[in-house]
Amino acid sequence: MSMNGNSSQAVKKRGWLGRMFFGASKSVRDERYDSPGKLAFKRFFQTPVAVVAVVVLVAMFGFVFIGSAIEPVDLTEAGAEMLHSNVAPTQSFMKIPADMKDGAVDISSQGTFTIGVSTDGNVYMWGFNPNSSTNDKINVLNVPEEVKNSKIVHVAAGADHCVAISEDGHVYCWGAYDVGQYGLDGSMIAAARKQPDELINGTIDASQVQQLTCGNQVTAILMKDGTIYAWGNDGLSATNLSSVIKYNNNEARLVKVAFTTDGIYGIDENGVFVPGKSTKFNTVTVTDERGAVTTTSLEELIGGRKLVDIAATGNALALVTEDGDVIVSGMKTPVPTIPEGDEVKQVSAGTRHFVLVTEQGRVYAWGQNYRNQCEVPEKFTEAGAVDQVFASGFQNYAFKDGKFVGAWGLKGYLMGTDEMGRDIFIRLMNGGKMTMTVGAVAVIISTIIGIIIGCLSGYFGGMTDMLLMRFTEICGSIPFLPFALVLSVILQASNLQENTRIFIIMVILGVLSWTGLAHMVRGQILAEREKEFVTAARSMGVRERRIAFKHILPNIVSVILVTLTLDFAGCMLTESSLSYLGFGVQLPRPTWGNMLNGARNALVIQSYWWRWVFPALFLSIVVICINVIGDTLRDVLDPKTEVDR
Amino acid sequence: MGRYVLRRCGYMLLVMIILSLLMFLVYTMIPYDRAVTEAESFKTAYKGNPNAAQLYADKLADLRRQLGTDQPVLKRYLGWLGLGPINGKYNGIFQGNFGYSYTYDRPVIDVLKTPMMNTVFINVFATILGLGITIPLGIFCAVHRGSKRDTGIQIATIVGYSIPSFITAIIFIWLFAIMLGWFPVSGMKTPGSNYTGLAELKDRLYYMSLPLIVMTFSSLGGMTRYVRAAMTEALSMDCIRTARAKGLREKVVVYSHAFRNALIPIITLVIGWFLGIFSGSVVLENIFGLNGVGRLYINALNDKDFEVVLLLQMFYVIIGLIGNLVTDIAYGIADPRVRVNK
Repeated sequence: MSMNGNSSQAVKKRGWLGRMFFGASKSVRDERYDSPGKLAFKRFFQTPVAVVAVVVLVAMFGFVFIGSAIEPVDLTEAGAEMLHSNVAPTQSFMKIPADMKDGAVDISSQGTFTIGVSTDGNVYMWGFNPNSSTNDKINVLNVPEEVKNSKIVHVAAGADHCVAISEDGHVYCWGAYDVGQYGLDGSMIAAARKQPDELINGTIDASQVQQLTCGNQVTAILMKDGTIYAWGNDGLSATNLSSVIKYNNNEARLVKVAFTTDGIYGIDENGVFVPGKSTKFNTVTVTDERGAVTTTSLEELIGGRKLVDIAATGNALALVTEDGDVIVSGMKTPVPTIPEGDEVKQVSAGTRHFVLVTEQGRVYAWGQNYRNQCEVPEKFTEAGAVDQVFASGFQNYAFKDGKFVGAWGLKGYLMGTDEMGRDIFIRLMNGGKMTMTVGAVAVIISTIIGIIIGCLSGYFGGMTDMLLMRFTEICGSIPFLPFALVLSVILQASNLQENTRIFIIMVILGVLSWTGLAHMVRGQILAEREKEFVTAARSMGVRERRIAFKHILPNIVSVILVTLTLDFAGCMLTESSLSYLGFGVQLPRPTWGNMLNGARNALVIQSYWWRWVFPALFLSIVVICINVIGDTLRDVLDPKTEVDR
Repeated sequence: MGRYVLRRCGYMLLVMIILSLLMFLVYTMIPYDRAVTEAESFKTAYKGNPNAAQLYADKLADLRRQLGTDQPVLKRYLGWLGLGPINGKYNGIFQGNFGYSYTYDRPVIDVLKTPMMNTVFINVFATILGLGITIPLGIFCAVHRGSKRDTGIQIATIVGYSIPSFITAIIFIWLFAIMLGWFPVSGMKTPGSNYTGLAELKDRLYYMSLPLIVMTFSSLGGMTRYVRAAMTEALSMDCIRTARAKGLREKVVVYSHAFRNALIPIITLVIGWFLGIFSGSVVLENIFGLNGVGRLYINALNDKDFEVVLLLQMFYVIIGLIGNLVTDIAYGIADPRVRVNK
């Protein structure tokens, strides 16, 4: 026995005096036998691989359960962001270059990248190229040489293209062009509104440019004399573009325009709102604190007042009236109330939020906050902190006296995003919670059934044993995966709540996987039943049921423990396989299995590695750890292996 | 022995009847009525007719009577087997009617032929490959138990059997098909090709090699551990000590004396595994786009082609039961000590 070996080494020779007072050896204490459980525990923690596995597994549990509690997944539309689909792991979204910090003319962004122009006319770009993985490899972050060499006065960014106007009136465009974002080369150019020839080959008077702005895949240049140059994919990104231009040419000159994801809206020289043919924002729905919904028409809210400013997010409009009132249409979040005596100075819009700067220099932000767009730093909420904020895309850059003072918003995605623009890091934590919960509940169910049937069958024997074992065999003959798939289809067809459905999946997994344990428990009990302590218990008149569950069961706990551990890993894998095939937990609710569902084609495997590497890695690590623990448990609990070592 | 086989067969038949009833019950639980789908086409035909609703209801009732979906479950089950009349006719499995696939518009048995051939082809190959690697590896580990190489292989096998096959597939596709470009990503044959003879076999093997590699790889971990455990058990038997004491060469001891004793668990494993890959290949066939039974099954589930699903369910059940029977009989052949006619 190893214990004896250890203790004999520990014996130290003592002199006769020492022996007289302290005895011959200190090892008397060491020679005491530990209980089997304690011994197994000790030996388990003497195995380095097992200790590592336990540490990693505990860390994973912490990551998954604490992480998902801190950052619950958003299953509504805010959780997904199509503009951010398939973004690689990056933290570069808000990395404004040092040279921009001394003064910015403009900063513009829609989705993943940002363009800025400094006061000395240099163009800077940061962020992530949305076309990095498609076949044509157009990199919007590559600023053309001519742009670098000229003094730029206006810039704007679309979802996948950029436009810049130089001081001498050249209009430069770069990035994706396929749907007619610029030029005439796009393969879908026939459906697009073509870029005017004088912009492609000629120049415009840059000092006369009132506004340069980009929508999703469209661009508009508004001149001071009322000319509008507009081009791009207006069929998708600005459906009311023609009607707005018609208004400009026939009714009254526009002074400012703003793009939403699918439209263009403006205000004319008389301060009138110009929606073109769009009626999307004509009614404003407000929910007050008590939950009552009131619907008012936009016209009524404006009430004949002149409009002085307009800003648009992807799906909301903010209009500023001449008396400083801000009217928002299309967004549920209420407009923040400005303290008495302060006035609205500037309203700017990101892709999903608005930012308001007051005359006294306070900053307010409202709208979607899932990507921290509205987490205005404490210092900017006090008077005099800021005099200009560029709300662009999902980031905000605050300037004071022309100097950069701070930024807030989305830095990037730690583990990238999937095809719907959902944050993989958050989904990984929440998906892990789901996978582990399903596995744990399933294994608990299967263990309970397995123990009961195995105990009854093994202890009582005879007819009970025969019937139960035949029953076990029949259940064991059910083809597992195909049967689970059919049951899952039935569940999908029935009109159940998603939570109920998931619970039933757990039950199905549990009910289909108990047979192995039942067999094992029965076998163990058959062996234990013949031992003396059972005979002793029986002769003392202990009731049969008590013998089975109180006397014999504790002796086979070790076997059950090992099976439980290994089955937990097995159930997690089954759930993942089901979800991977699309028959388990349904999207958008994440599990590690259905996160890998997207990785079924070569393009995703090749180009969007972050979409499969992280879930696959986490699932594999957890299962490996559980299996290592289960294996080591079996080794340390089984007295036979002791001899082998 | 003969009596035992007979008894096992009889018992198997009983289990099969119980399970087929169970499968049929599950099948009828699917809220889907073929008659409603069929009647849908008549709905447009009756449009404009003043009593369209009545005509539709009549047609639906008529179709339901024809298809037997208005009958109670037990009658439908008997009808499906061919032991009871559906619409006055005996036309079920015993009459050679295995159901009708509405997606393919052909009898299920015709639809099944090609995928079944493909699946069997792949699985036989994967089994041979898997055994060819794992048995020698497992024996090696058992003989050199406790050595550094054994520990290394043990850790590798834990990793191997912990990683689910679909993750292995993704990694291998990425490595061998995309990065190295050695194999095609998915599919059964070169699109548009029309090879015959040897060229066809070559092309087929080329497309099947990656699924085969993945299948073999995912089986390595579990099988090696199993063979090692069986061999370890066998090597610690008294007869081995005797054999060694007799002065037999180590090779003879290991391969003749010990391996024969380790054969029983290995046989169980091989058969169980061979049958297990039929349902296990559901996942892999879907990833690699192989036209096999597993993919047919998933497609049928998605297309609501439930007669195909039902028949495949039964196929998987029968495969499992036959597996059990063959295991029992093989025990007797491999080990004369197992007195199966007890």
